[in-house]
Amino acid sequence: MAIVATTTKFSVYGRPVLAWIVGLLFFFPIFWLVLTSFKTDADAVKPEFLLFFTPTLDNYLNMTENYDYWRFATNSIITSVFATIFALAVGIPSAYAMAFNPSRATKDVLMWMLSTKMLPAAAVLYPMTFITKSIGLFDTHFMVIVVLMLINLPIVIWMLFTYFKEIPKDIIEAGQMDGVNTWGEVKEILIPLAWGGIASTALLCFIFCWNEAYWTVRLTTTEAATLSKLIEGNRAPEGLFFGRLSAVSAAAVGPIVVLGWFCQKQLVQGLTFGAVK
Amino acid sequence: MGRIVLENVTKSFGDAQVIPPLDLTIEDGEFAVFVGPSGCGKSTLLRLIAGLEETTSGRIVIDDNDATQVPPSKRGLAMVFQSYALYPHMSVRKNIAFPLRMAKMDQAAIDTKVEAAAKILNLADYLEQKPGQLSGGQRQRVAIGRAIVREPAAFLFDEPLSNLDAALRVGMRLEISELHNRLNTTMIYVTHDQVEAMTMADKIVVLRAGNIEQVGSPLDLYHTPRNIFVAGFIGSPKMNIIDGPEAEKQGATSIGFRPEHTDVSTTEGMWKGRVGVAEHLGSDTFIHVHDTGLADMITVRITGDIAVTHGDDIYLTPQMDKLHKFDADGLRMA
Amino acid sequence: MSNRTLPRLLQTPAVIMLLIWMLIPLSLTLYFSFIRYVLNNLRRPEWTTPSFSNWRGFGNYEFVLNSKDFLFAIQNSLLIVGSILFLTVILGVLIAVMINKAFPGQGIVRVLLISPFFVMPAVNAVLWVNMILDPVLGLQGLAVAGINDLIGSLQSAPGVGWFFSLWPEVKPISFRATQTSAYAVIIMVTWQWTPFAVLIFMTSLQSEDQQQKEAAVLDGAGTFSQFRFLTLPHLGRPIAIVVMIQAIFHLSLYAEIEIVSRGNGNKNLPYLIGEFANNNIGAASATGIFAVILANIVAIFLLRMIGKTLME
Repeated sequence: MAIVATTTKFSVYGRPVLAWIVGLLFFFPIFWLVLTSFKTDADAVKPEFLLFFTPTLDNYLNMTENYDYWRFATNSIITSVFATIFALAVGIPSAYAMAFNPSRATKDVLMWMLSTKMLPAAAVLYPMTFITKSIGLFDTHFMVIVVLMLINLPIVIWMLFTYFKEIPKDIIEAGQMDGVNTWGEVKEILIPLAWGGIASTALLCFIFCWNEAYWTVRLTTTEAATLSKLIEGNRAPEGLFFGRLSAVSAAAVGPIVVLGWFCQKQLVQGLTFGAVK
Repeated sequence: MGRIVLENVTKSFGDAQVIPPLDLTIEDGEFAVFVGPSGCGKSTLLRLIAGLEETTSGRIVIDDNDATQVPPSKRGLAMVFQSYALYPHMSVRKNIAFPLRMAKMDQAAIDTKVEAAAKILNLADYLEQKPGQLSGGQRQRVAIGRAIVREPAAFLFDEPLSNLDAALRVGMRLEISELHNRLNTTMIYVTHDQVEAMTMADKIVVLRAGNIEQVGSPLDLYHTPRNIFVAGFIGSPKMNIIDGPEAEKQGATSIGFRPEHTDVSTTEGMWKGRVGVAEHLGSDTFIHVHDTGLADMITVRITGDIAVTHGDDIYLTPQMDKLHKFDADGLRMA
Repeated sequence: MSNRTLPRLLQTPAVIMLLIWMLIPLSLTLYFSFIRYVLNNLRRPEWTTPSFSNWRGFGNYEFVLNSKDFLFAIQNSLLIVGSILFLTVILGVLIAVMINKAFPGQGIVRVLLISPFFVMPAVNAVLWVNMILDPVLGLQGLAVAGINDLIGSLQSAPGVGWFFSLWPEVKPISFRATQTSAYAVIIMVTWQWTPFAVLIFMTSLQSEDQQQKEAAVLDGAGTFSQFRFLTLPHLGRPIAIVVMIQAIFHLSLYAEIEIVSRGNGNKNLPYLIGEFANNNIGAASATGIFAVILANIVAIFLLRMIGKTLME
């Protein structure tokens, strides 16, 4: 409708209003979670305090006491950060190799990597429990990091691959003429040039690690348990602790939602494997 | 020094052989131009010399050393890419200094060399800028600067002017020629534009489908093309080639005559035709002639002007001493 | 020679890691699915350690196929995945078309819309099932109570009270119950994944050929015809991709189901595997193999589609 002057009242007023309503509706549950987190447990279930209440920070201040929040949060941070670092450390050389030195098998290798992502986790649930328990790595940070890294590695490699492909091959060849070795190509040319892509890949990988809720729940008990496990373990407070549960939930998702805002575009690329442009 | 010898060099991509066995010598200090239509293998040949492609068989000898297995950076060659291939995250200074830094040269020496190159190329005012802020011509100079500082045995240019607009291209052509005169270093230059080849080269190598069709100086190629392909490729407008009875009268399968080697008259001549389009350039006039019974169209070029318009009758007479005769295989007859 | 051996070798660590990650657990699953293997059995203690001597052939598969939970889990998986796909695609297309053109605050609306996607599944489930859908204490319960109060007060109003006393009391729906827990999962996952569909469709809409639309306008196409004959076909491929990616993700839904009802009346395949894995590893593994087959059917189509665009 921007094409010709067929401007209707709907397109000027109706659509924006509708769009805002839909946007607010989708955001409402998050807003409600945050709002509830400022109510006392008692107020949270009383209709008279639905919107107007005396806000309190107690739920946040008592997170450690109520849920041992920081222990789980620390685990989430440690596992997500290290899984992301390792995924990049393995993924960057791999994507570099495939983007700039492709062989005839490269395409198949990429597709195969993707297919590992499509394997239902539950199918290997028991073997994974069995293996981790028999080598004594059950409920350890190390195991969670390894698993998180492996489940995100295909996406990391794919995203990096699509970013690296955008770098003209000429520049890499100019580097070869100028005397850089393989390590130099990566360090002097590839990483500085694809810095933005690498950063958003890292961000997205971190978010996926943080939100992961199958292996982190099934392969941990206490030592390496993450926030997913914490929330899952306190799922049904039967109305008793809505306030404090909201606070700990908001603390678990808040930073990630904000980070997510910064990588909307990359998300499309990362999740559709470059098939939607 | 920069004498490059290719001995029996071939290149295959999978089963497809793009360069059949090929021999070529480029003398030290020579300006050699590889020219041919797109897909003729000229860029591949350059990349083989550079070491960016692996040679399938044969030897590449640079200054009497077998360089076939030597990695690109150790061959002592510098390359200027079609896309310039500047490092967009580095300033002009760092771009030019990059090969020296990779060679672990000390900083003071690097600075001296970069300043000197920048001076030659009129880049002194732009040293701290990023490539993205420069015009096409300036980027081209930075790419050349990056090549110069290495003091290579030979420069390799891969269609370096094709991304520039027409006016700039003429200017850069002169600059590269001047650079060659000044440095006296071997240069190998790839282009599909025969004008660039004719104006710049000491030696032109005409390629088709990976085969060398002819090697020679620009005027050699112009005056004595070895076959119909070279005859048609070198020279603008293209040489007229005709087959049939008129060619047989000259004892050949095909004959060729250049547009500029044809006499034109409105009253009499060897062949009669009708004027199609007449392009008046002022200095010259190109006339496209139809209905001669010889070929779809014959192009002639005359100096100055002639008063003909569309539909007029016109008479053509080729200059017999400049007639090219070709046999059934398309080869030049002695 | 430009020696490209080292650069090519750089991909091997990733390949080897993923190969181990895929092959070892999967072959164990395959192995366990053909033997009798349980964690506790006092009468047959030899079954508690995996061994080829406990070979059962396709017995585990038969056992799984004959258990009524399996059929139910398959049905339920399809109900949940199918409903989510249907809702997210319809909502996604409508919302994407609606917010694709510039309007005041478009950026903010985008941010609001995308936010649910980044909420961790566990929080998503806890939030919806407690704070929103709970029949007594959640927003649903409060709303229902409010409506009933209002009707109650109208019933005692003079004059029209008799009319409102004919109205029934509104009953809240318990989403933890056997029949309804799947709907709670559908609602919360649709809420989380509609933003994903919107985002992808918007990305795709931005690459729509504007000149083609202009030509259509000159040819006399109205807004609806443009949508029907230009926009929708343009979205065909992204829709297919959204459907397949979501199918793969949602076939392995777990946390939401666990939190809403602990699988009570609402099992899907992953949940069933989890239940079997509490004791009967053989059956869990056989179910796992079924899940792999199911996922592969979707995956093959998706991979083909991605493969086509890969090397462009």
